[in-house]
Amino acid sequence: MRKTHIKGFALAAAAVFGLLACGSSSSSSDTTAAAAPVTTDAAADYSMLKVAVVYIGVPDDKGWTYQHEQGILALEAELGITVKRVTNVPEGDEGEAIMEGLAAEGYNLIFATSFGYGAPMARVAVKHPEGCFEWATGAKFLLTKDAGGEFATFGDVPANLGTYFGAAEEARYLSGIAAGKASKSGKLGYVAAFPIPEVIRGINAFTLGAQSVNPAATVQVSWTKTWFGPDTEKQAAESLLAAGADVLAMHQDTTATGLAADAKGAKWVGYSSDVSEAAPNAWLTAPTWNWGPYYIKTAKSVAGGTCPADEYYGSMADGMVTLGSFGSSVDADTQALIATKAAAIIDGSFAPFQGPVMDQDGKEVVAAGAKPELLDLLGMSYFVKGVIGSPKG
Amino acid sequence: MMRIPFRVVFEQRGETPRRLSLLVPIASVLAALCFGAIFLLATGYSPIDTYSNMFRDGFASFNGITDTLALSTVLICTGISAAFAFQMNLYNIGGEGQLYLGLIGGAWAGIALGDHLPTLIMVPIVLLCGALAGAAWIFVPALVRSRLGTSEIVSTLLLTYIAASLIKHVIYTPGSFFRNPNTSFPQGRMVADSASLDSFGSSRLYPTFFVALIIAGALYWVVRRTEFGYRIKVISDSPRAAHYAGINARRTTMWVMLISGALSGLAGAMLIVGPYGKIEPSIITLGYGYAGIVVAALARNNLGLIIVSGILFSGLRVGGNNLQVTTSTPIHIGVMLQGAILLFALGGEAFRRYHIHVVRTHVAPAKKALS
Repeated sequence: MRKTHIKGFALAAAAVFGLLACGSSSSSSDTTAAAAPVTTDAAADYSMLKVAVVYIGVPDDKGWTYQHEQGILALEAELGITVKRVTNVPEGDEGEAIMEGLAAEGYNLIFATSFGYGAPMARVAVKHPEGCFEWATGAKFLLTKDAGGEFATFGDVPANLGTYFGAAEEARYLSGIAAGKASKSGKLGYVAAFPIPEVIRGINAFTLGAQSVNPAATVQVSWTKTWFGPDTEKQAAESLLAAGADVLAMHQDTTATGLAADAKGAKWVGYSSDVSEAAPNAWLTAPTWNWGPYYIKTAKSVAGGTCPADEYYGSMADGMVTLGSFGSSVDADTQALIATKAAAIIDGSFAPFQGPVMDQDGKEVVAAGAKPELLDLLGMSYFVKGVIGSPKG
Repeated sequence: MMRIPFRVVFEQRGETPRRLSLLVPIASVLAALCFGAIFLLATGYSPIDTYSNMFRDGFASFNGITDTLALSTVLICTGISAAFAFQMNLYNIGGEGQLYLGLIGGAWAGIALGDHLPTLIMVPIVLLCGALAGAAWIFVPALVRSRLGTSEIVSTLLLTYIAASLIKHVIYTPGSFFRNPNTSFPQGRMVADSASLDSFGSSRLYPTFFVALIIAGALYWVVRRTEFGYRIKVISDSPRAAHYAGINARRTTMWVMLISGALSGLAGAMLIVGPYGKIEPSIITLGYGYAGIVVAALARNNLGLIIVSGILFSGLRVGGNNLQVTTSTPIHIGVMLQGAILLFALGGEAFRRYHIHVVRTHVAPAKKALS
């Protein structure tokens, strides 16, 4: 009897852990009361606009969702509306049911902030042609049969679905300059989540930035195969430090890399949020996102009767991508250099992947003076010269 | 030292009264709802509004009930997977990992064989391959449990983490058979059209729902009416008696665990022929295999009741998901209720198995303790 009881308990514990794991952990911050309208356009009428945002996590994660929440707060303040937040939404079928519920409740502009919401959102968009659907980090061709979706051709993808993302590589390049200047050994490390084009692009841009001030700089990559895994990220960071890296960059959702770098007296380039307070001594800077302008522009467009259904790719020029604050160890000369490069990126006279760019084997992938096409950037699957590691994971 | 003048006595019941079999699960759900109501009240939400919204969005609207039945398709399978093993005191809590293998087995069949065969043959093959993959994943735990008595709780649970890594591996490795070759984005490769079913009308409900019902019914019959079922009952009641009766407990253990693994694998394959059509890495965040444990506990491992508890639990989850949409209630209320139901269902077991009564202890004149 006793044995059975112990098993029963283990069983209950396992099941409860399972539930907790699938329900995600941290507490939900509830819909914030709308801030008073600051610059409400007297002529504009936003009463027909019902905006909802679908979050993969919670708004206070100090990372990806937090940055989107800042954008949504800006939208609320600008238009004087209240946005419906739905948090911890699973991808797949259950997410589809939630988005369909939102459309049925009359929400006519829905933002979904994770890659995995694409196919479910497209199905809801077909059923609700009156709504406008916006898929962050998405790419419409992925919804076609060829690319693993369910629409026969690109033309069949619903016209009330748009995507939005941005050229984080621009800010990655600039953060690479700060890292290249800060490194004494010329050995940089990069804690990276998954071997997908978005992450590979960031690693390459960071490397090119570092090499622009230290041509011999190398970047060693450690894959964690998780977006959010403080322990795994910490282990990856420590292994890079043990291999001699004195500056670490990352494509992760937690500050574990920064804390590990700080403990060893190394420097740290963050990502997504400007969280220098996590490790002020290690902090150099971070590529960050500013979603507010896009949310405001899109909401105004929908209020005016047009659903922006294009594939929006923001940049530093329109402010969707920004560079965070500088840590105390980034000297004035470096800051000035970064500012010059930033100005050149914004006015279009310079691009991070401006040729010549060589891949790991020394083969030229971008010819001298050329700039790669957007589609080549979006599908990037090679590492540039100087990156140590495999782009295959 | 003060003595408490009564004590609680747990007296094991010989036979569970029939009324209790039904009463305890209902009371468990009600108790969980009351428990949830305390938190709702404490955080300023009306329990009555919350629960009526959950009921409406989970059961009483077209999308609600079809989504509930759609989710229950998977949860009934993982539920009977858990219950079928639990009833023989074999605690397969790795249904989650066996489900992942079902995805892999099903997707393999759908991709490799799909173009050559019609739907009527292809869909059963996909389901079968998923079931076989799930059974294969539990083979080693079953073997060491039946031969050496190694705890299946630990082995099946740990294998789940390996299965999750396997799913990530087949999707994130460039050139993987299961990965879509047409794009550098890590996407699963779609199975052939002949290996996927259409949902009913505008709903998300697939014909696999009826397969789940038939399998639940068939296993109920196997357990109640066949010699195999009788052997399971004898072994679970008294392994020693089974030994004297000449029942080969090793072989029965092996079969029960393999069938349990196959049922979770089947659940994974149902996701392939149904809503997903490919290995979708986010499935590993959904916890359908773990939820099967709750479904089984709620039905007290009664294979007939699994259908009811599977639908009930699915409705709570679908309704809970929608709470955020129609109200401002945080999603955690739904998740907390699911956990509370499990704990109360397990707690309710005590009332079903034992006659519990309070006995007054005779307060004897205090004796001086000898030191």
